[in-house]
Amino acid sequence: MTTNLIHNYIASGSSRKPISGNQKAQEPPKKPMPYFDIEHELNNRTFIKPLEGKGHLINGSIFNMPALMVKDTIYNTKAFKHAVNGEANDHELGKLNDVGLKIGGLAIAGYLFTRKQTPMTKGMEFIGLGSFLASMAIWPKIAIQLPAYLIHGINVQKQYEDSFGRKKPFYQDPQFIPWDLYSDKEIQKIGDRLGVPKDIPNRRDAIQSKMKQIAIQNNTLWMLTAGFATPVMSALICNKTEPYLANWLNNRKNKKADKILTNLDKYSEKYQTNTISKKLEEVIALYGNKPVDDALLDNITGAFSSRMDLVTSESIKEDLRNLMITEKAYSIDDNTAKNISINLQKLLKNKKYTDKEIKAVIPNEAAMIQLFRDNNFINPSKETKDFQSIKNKIAKAIQRNISSYNKNEGKNDPLDWHFIQQIIANNQRAEHPIEKELYKVPGIKFDTTIQARLRDLAKISDDFSAKNYALDEYALLKIGSAPETVIANYWNNLSKDILNIFGISFNDIKNIKNERTLVGNLLRNRIETIVSNDELYKKVMKELVEKIAVINSEIKSSDLATPLLKKEDGLTDAQKLANRSAYEKIVDKEFNAYANTVKEKGFTNLSHAIAGFNPDDTVGTARNIQKAFASDRLLGVKSSFYRLINSLDFYRRIAKNANGMESIGKYPREIKEEIIELCKIITLQGHSSDNATKFYMLRNPHPSSDRSPLEVQNGKIINKYFGNSNGTTDIAGDKYFYQRAMQLMFEEKLDDETTKILEGSAIKDEVTTYRELVLDKIGGENYMMKPRHRIRPDSNASSELKFLLTGIAPDEFLFKSGQQFYNSKKWFKIFGTFGAALLGVTVLAQFFFGKTKNQKQGSTK
Amino acid sequence: MILPVNNTNQKNKIINFSAKSNDDKKVIEYNHDTLLKNNLATRTDIGIDRLLNAFTVYPAKGLKGSRNANFYEFLTMGNVPYLIGSLMLMNVFIGPSNSYSHFQQTIAKPLGKKLALGVVFYGLAKNLSKSLISKPIQMMTGIDIERPYAKVNYELPDDVNDTDIISIEHHKVFESVEFPRWDLLYGDVGKGEPRNFRYDKIAKKLGMGQNLNDSDQEVKSRIKEIIIKSNLAKNISSYLWAATGVALAFQKPWENFFNVMTFKFWKGPEFIKSLTSFGENFVKSAKELYKGEGHGLTKHAGKILIGASILSSIAGVANTMHSSHKPSKVDAADVIKKDEKYVVN
Repeated sequence: MTTNLIHNYIASGSSRKPISGNQKAQEPPKKPMPYFDIEHELNNRTFIKPLEGKGHLINGSIFNMPALMVKDTIYNTKAFKHAVNGEANDHELGKLNDVGLKIGGLAIAGYLFTRKQTPMTKGMEFIGLGSFLASMAIWPKIAIQLPAYLIHGINVQKQYEDSFGRKKPFYQDPQFIPWDLYSDKEIQKIGDRLGVPKDIPNRRDAIQSKMKQIAIQNNTLWMLTAGFATPVMSALICNKTEPYLANWLNNRKNKKADKILTNLDKYSEKYQTNTISKKLEEVIALYGNKPVDDALLDNITGAFSSRMDLVTSESIKEDLRNLMITEKAYSIDDNTAKNISINLQKLLKNKKYTDKEIKAVIPNEAAMIQLFRDNNFINPSKETKDFQSIKNKIAKAIQRNISSYNKNEGKNDPLDWHFIQQIIANNQRAEHPIEKELYKVPGIKFDTTIQARLRDLAKISDDFSAKNYALDEYALLKIGSAPETVIANYWNNLSKDILNIFGISFNDIKNIKNERTLVGNLLRNRIETIVSNDELYKKVMKELVEKIAVINSEIKSSDLATPLLKKEDGLTDAQKLANRSAYEKIVDKEFNAYANTVKEKGFTNLSHAIAGFNPDDTVGTARNIQKAFASDRLLGVKSSFYRLINSLDFYRRIAKNANGMESIGKYPREIKEEIIELCKIITLQGHSSDNATKFYMLRNPHPSSDRSPLEVQNGKIINKYFGNSNGTTDIAGDKYFYQRAMQLMFEEKLDDETTKILEGSAIKDEVTTYRELVLDKIGGENYMMKPRHRIRPDSNASSELKFLLTGIAPDEFLFKSGQQFYNSKKWFKIFGTFGAALLGVTVLAQFFFGKTKNQKQGSTK
Repeated sequence: MILPVNNTNQKNKIINFSAKSNDDKKVIEYNHDTLLKNNLATRTDIGIDRLLNAFTVYPAKGLKGSRNANFYEFLTMGNVPYLIGSLMLMNVFIGPSNSYSHFQQTIAKPLGKKLALGVVFYGLAKNLSKSLISKPIQMMTGIDIERPYAKVNYELPDDVNDTDIISIEHHKVFESVEFPRWDLLYGDVGKGEPRNFRYDKIAKKLGMGQNLNDSDQEVKSRIKEIIIKSNLAKNISSYLWAATGVALAFQKPWENFFNVMTFKFWKGPEFIKSLTSFGENFVKSAKELYKGEGHGLTKHAGKILIGASILSSIAGVANTMHSSHKPSKVDAADVIKKDEKYVVN
């Protein structure tokens, strides 16, 4: 702590003057001493010496920035402590305001962080805050300080530290500038740079006043521009930072996913929650030794379904039923006795017995219950072989009642026991008043044996589900239909690149971005231009293949594959097994192991639901679904882009070799024109539903027989006939027309350049397989464009597979990515231009600074 | 103060060699630093004056590099980036969305509007929350930490014709903790006010006793402590409240408000509906912010933020009221020992 002058004076005074007894105790002395003669002191003021000034200019640079930051933080911490104790000064309070601003900023970013779902959006909250604070600091540096320094040679944002360690801007208060911190040499140097004449009197003052003027002007300019600049600059920083963050997060996520697969056992521990076991224990505690009913089965199933899908857990129910229920025993309780009594009463009532008679003969509910209890018939698991004795006891009771009745009230009209016996016996079991009740509730106990079996199953299932969850997480991270998964990032990156690759600019899509047809036309024209130019085509196709092939390094085929796209012709079963991806292998291993174990333990239905009846089952078992979920997503994405490659290649083949296409070689010119037009539409626009139902090609029913060659110009067919006939119609019966179209698109050899480019690429085999697959699955469909037009044996392909193979139509892909491209470009254009203009104006303005009327007068003197 | 000759603006005594008319001469409101009342009218008046100056007079002076430019003007101009920045921020979010496709607009616009609302709430919450500190303190201590005064500055004339050399600045009495304007708080004896009446009131409220001989000297150190502590409290809590304001603006119910929002106050029913909707959705949003959704931190983030803001205000006031300078229980009369010798200079 630096003492001030007064303290210094008092302190030194106390050592000079004798101290009276009373004042010795007062430390430090708060008042001037008695007998203090100010006149005398002032006349001999040699003792008052100003302290050596400790103030100095701060020379901040990148190198000492960390040190300055640490120093500032210490200062702020101390300031906070002072303020809490009520001892802070103005400067410290001012600093604490900045601290408050940052705390508030962090609070906002922190809150928004919790509201965002994905790491990317969460991360951007803090980047947003950081960029905003950075912009506040950077703008005056680059737009004010730097140009001012370059133009005038003055650092208008110079800071100094005063004798009390307070850091302040040098020109903060123009009415109080501590000029003495600048040495004469420094000021004179600046004066030279400012062009202040060398021979004027009081040159230092002249220079200082000019420096001050420029500083005031710049400070004002800073205040006027910062409001415009900071938000824009911050947004621009975020805009430019986002891809880097996205890239970094993507790599991180991808690596994390890879680790799950290589380290499944360890990773799955995180999901080892024993939920099924815990829930099962709850059920066991609830039921204990109570008789089994459907609610119990539901409850047990519920315990398992907490971590399993419903199909699988329902199959456990079936197994349980089989395991726990036998037909040898039934549950007999008070209700059984009560119902038997009621049934017997009803039966006799139907046979016109009077109430009096019934009452006398049939033991009422209470009596019947008593009878069951006395004879120990109440038992949750009464074996059926004991049922005869129950019936006998009831019969005897009735017989006894009858004889008693006949002796007393029924003397005149006695009841016949045998007849009543017949009435009771003459019933099927379902109607039998006694048997109906005895055989009502199946009777097996939820005994300790079955509980132990279930506990065993729960434990195995807990282990299995933990692994299953880990595998799910792997699949989700890689190919999940969610933001920021590896595949979603890949798709988005390609969306951004695709416009660049096809050379489509902001202006191209500015006016057509909201109309898919127009975007489609643009794409078609662009592709036709590209394919007609050899160099351009090579460049575009190469870039396209490179970008698309990234998928195979992001998601390696050895890790996660689309089995359908694999070339497996001629491989033995063993080779095919070995050829599986790591994910498939692990899924097979874990699911089969679980299925086998539970089968051994008697849960056959469950086993079948998990892995089917044999290892090759292709039905919807949990194992196959687990695999298909991943490979289907991958197939859909890959197909979309392989289709794009094929489409581009098709346009190329037409541009370069339209007349050499074998599939349509035999047709006259007009039909060729029609087929090519159809294919150009399908390749760019076709959806899976279009392939099945919607391609009505409007053709000339009486085509010309002209066999002259097709004319191609700049990638376009110069149609001589197509579009010129008077009446056109869809000729649905012409199956060859549609078949040739399919062959033209997918069966004809790829263009030589395409082949060459694909040759060196990781996706070569997959593209080839893709084309074959389309021919087989879509071309083998009964409804390939028209009923019974297929070109391959019936493929029985599911709609889903056809959908996946069709992927997204290129025009739709471009339409969507075009809109995104437009939005971000538009935004960037507005604010980028604004930011640049603002910077320009701010810098330009500074050339007019330091030139005022007064100055001119001064300099001309 | 020595005034330049041509500032003598009494009638009939004007010595003016220039052709410039004197009709536009500024009416001088004050001729010395004057304590102002802290009421809505004055605050509005001051706010408008500062804002107007920040956008007109001060930039003009600053851009010329006037030698009269000072720190107050620089600070007042700080409102310029604050306001322009807010508008700009809204624009950055909403601006280009009109050119997006309709579907994208439906996503971008509510988000943009929420961000814009966030900017507004940030400013409002930041400023209004300061009352949460200053009002309780004023009630408990009688110290009005926001008390304004008008400061009269005499500037150096730019040239011989420059007669407009008075500039009025609006400061607060306790703006500087090192140099509070104690002098302004003394009563005007000429008007019959007791000299220390303001300090007396404060001393009474602070429990330092009544009828003190030098209440001003007694309370000054205490006031200073209160000012410092309340300043800290305002600095930290106001930004937390501002953050709460932003969080409030991000709640879903506001989307309902955006559907009926209008600023066209001349369209009566629509405007009223807009206002009602604002009120309703304000309450709904506040509830939603408090309740949160999801689980874990996500669910409780709103509560934490609100809690931190409230806590910062309460802790701020509590710390301000907690004093290390407790008034002495010993009667002042007892401090002087009658049998001792004292010397007074």
